[in-house]
Amino acid sequence: MIEPVALKDFFITFFSAALIIMAGGSYALLFAWSKVNANFRIKIAAYVAYAVLLVAVILLTRAAQFQGYWLIISAAMVIGYFFAPIGIWHLCVKTHTDPHYPITHKEHQE
Amino acid sequence: MNTSGLNGVMQNATALGEKSRACLNTFKAWVQLDSSNLSPGQQLSVKYFIVAVILFFAQILFGMLAATQFIFPGFLYEILDFSVNRMIHINAMIVWMLYGFIGCVYWFLEDESGTDIVGLKLGNLAFWVLTGAVTVVVLVYLLVQIGPGKDSSLWLINEGREYIEAPRWADIGIVVVMLIFFYNVVATFSKGKWSGIAGVLTLDLVALAGLYVAGMFYMTNITHEQYWWWWVIHLWVEATWEVLVGVIMAWSLMKLLGVRRKIIQTWLYIEVALMFGSGILGLGHHYFWIGTPEYWLTIGGFFSALEPIPLVAMVVHAVYDSGAHAFKNGNHPALAWIIAQAFGNFFGAGVWGFMHTLPQINMFTHGTQWSASHGHLAFFGAYATINIAFFYLAIQHWRGDVWMGGNSQNAWRWKWALGLLNGGVVGMTIALLIAGYEQSFIERAVEGSTWGGYFAAQNHPSFQSAMNWRWFFGLITFAGLILLIWDLLTIGKGETRKAPIIPVEE
Repeated sequence: MIEPVALKDFFITFFSAALIIMAGGSYALLFAWSKVNANFRIKIAAYVAYAVLLVAVILLTRAAQFQGYWLIISAAMVIGYFFAPIGIWHLCVKTHTDPHYPITHKEHQE
Repeated sequence: MNTSGLNGVMQNATALGEKSRACLNTFKAWVQLDSSNLSPGQQLSVKYFIVAVILFFAQILFGMLAATQFIFPGFLYEILDFSVNRMIHINAMIVWMLYGFIGCVYWFLEDESGTDIVGLKLGNLAFWVLTGAVTVVVLVYLLVQIGPGKDSSLWLINEGREYIEAPRWADIGIVVVMLIFFYNVVATFSKGKWSGIAGVLTLDLVALAGLYVAGMFYMTNITHEQYWWWWVIHLWVEATWEVLVGVIMAWSLMKLLGVRRKIIQTWLYIEVALMFGSGILGLGHHYFWIGTPEYWLTIGGFFSALEPIPLVAMVVHAVYDSGAHAFKNGNHPALAWIIAQAFGNFFGAGVWGFMHTLPQINMFTHGTQWSASHGHLAFFGAYATINIAFFYLAIQHWRGDVWMGGNSQNAWRWKWALGLLNGGVVGMTIALLIAGYEQSFIERAVEGSTWGGYFAAQNHPSFQSAMNWRWFFGLITFAGLILLIWDLLTIGKGETRKAPIIPVEE
C-alpha cells in the first residue's frame, strides 16, 4: 500500500528525487574523471557527490513515506548508484581493449 | 457549358505552375546544393529530411498558437480552437521525428550494407504516399474541426485518441509505409552485408511496425483501451525510438569521430539490454491511474527508478572516451548537437522524469503541466537534437564534404540557433515546471481534483505568469528554428576547405 506525499513535503519530494539523479550523475562523472586523472581531490569530490546522493535518498524515503517492500527502491538506489559507475568503467576498459587502439588511460594500460 | 471560364481557370493554373517552377529554380540557384554528391539512397533520405524540417516548423507554429490561447483564451476561438492547435502541435512533432529517423536510416543504409538499396522505387513511392497522407490528414484536422463521432468519422476524420488522432485509413497507411521501409532495410542488408548495427535495426523495425498496431483497435472497457493505447505512446515512442536513436548515434559516432565499430556495437547491445531491463516495465508508470491492478504501482515505481542507469553509463563512457579522443572532427555543429543530445536526454528524461515518476507523488502531478514540462525537455533532448545533428551531417555531404567548423564563415548562425533553441526549450521547461507545481499543489492536493480546483489553479497568478514566460521562451525557440533553417540552407556555401576524412576502424 502506498501513502501519498503530504502537502508540506511536496517540494522536498521533487527536490530530493531530482537531486538523486543529479548527484548520481555527478558521482559517475567524478568517479570516471578520477580514473582518467589520478587526482585525490577528484576522488574525494566523487565521494562527496555520493554522500549527497545518500542524503537525498533518505529525504525521499521519508517524504514519499516508503515502507515495507518500497524500501527496496531506496536500497537499490543506494547500492546501484555506487556500483554502477564502477561496473560501467570496467566494461569500458574491457570493450576498448585492443592492441591497435590509441591508449591514453593509465587503467587501460594495466 | 461555359468554356471561356474553364479556359481562364486553366490559364491561371498554368501561369501559377510556371511561377512556382521559376521560384523553385531561383531557390535552387540560391542554396547551391549539388545533388550529384548524393547516392540514390541519400537522395531519398534528403526528401524525408526536407519534410521533417517543414513539419518541425509546423510543430512550433501550432505550439505558439496554443501557447497564445493559454494567455488569451478568445484568440482564434471557433476558428482554430486550442484542441486542434494542440493536436497538430503534438502530431507534427511525432511525424517530423519519424520522418527524420527514416531519413537517417536511408542515409546510411547503402554505406552500412555495402550495396544499393533494393527497393528504392518502392521507397520513393512510400515517401510520396506518406507525405500525401500527412497533408490530407492535417487539412482534414483543420477543415473538419467539429462533428459527430461516428464510425465514419473514426475511419475518415479523427480517431479521437490523444497523440495518435490520425484516422484509421492513415493508420493503415503508416503501417504499410513502415513495412515497405522494413522490407527495404532487410532486403538491402540481405543483399549486401549484415552487421551488429543492421541486426539491432532490423529487430527494432519489427517492433516499430508491430507496436503501432496496438493503437488501431477499440475496446469498450476504458481501462483495456488505455492499457493498449499506452503501448503505442510509451513503447513505440520511448522504446523503439530509443533503440533507433541508439543505432543512428552508433553510425554517426563512427563517421564523426572514427570510433571503432567493435566498441560501438558492443555498447549498442548493452544499451538495448539496459532498455529491456528497465524501460519496458518502466511503462508501468503510465498504468498507475487507469484502473489497472495495484501491482503496477510497484512495478512502475521500481523500474522507473532503474531507468536512469543507461544515463549514468553514458556519463562514465563519455569521460572514458574523452581521454582517448580529442573530439577532432570536421563538422562542429553536428558534434555540438550530439553533445546537446547527451545533456538534454540526461536532464529531460532522467532528472525531470524521476522527479515525478513515483506513484506517491505522481498521483498529484500526472497530466498537469508538470508532464508537459518533462515532455518538452525529454522529446527535444532525446530526439530533436539527434535529428538536427544528422541534418548537419547530411548537408555537409550534400555540399561536397566541406569543412564546417566553429571558425567557418557565418558560424554564428549555427551557434546562435543552438543557443536559442536549447535556451528556449529549457526556458519553456522551467516555466511549465512552475505551472505544474502550482497545478498539482492547488488543483490536485488542496482542492482534490475538482472542477473548482481546476479553475482555481488555472486562474492563479503564478500559473498565468508561468504561461506568459512559456510563451516568451516559445518565441525564443521559434527564432532559433528560423535561424536553424537559414543555417541549414546556407552553411558551407562558398567554403572551399575540405573536411578531414575520419578513418573508421573495423
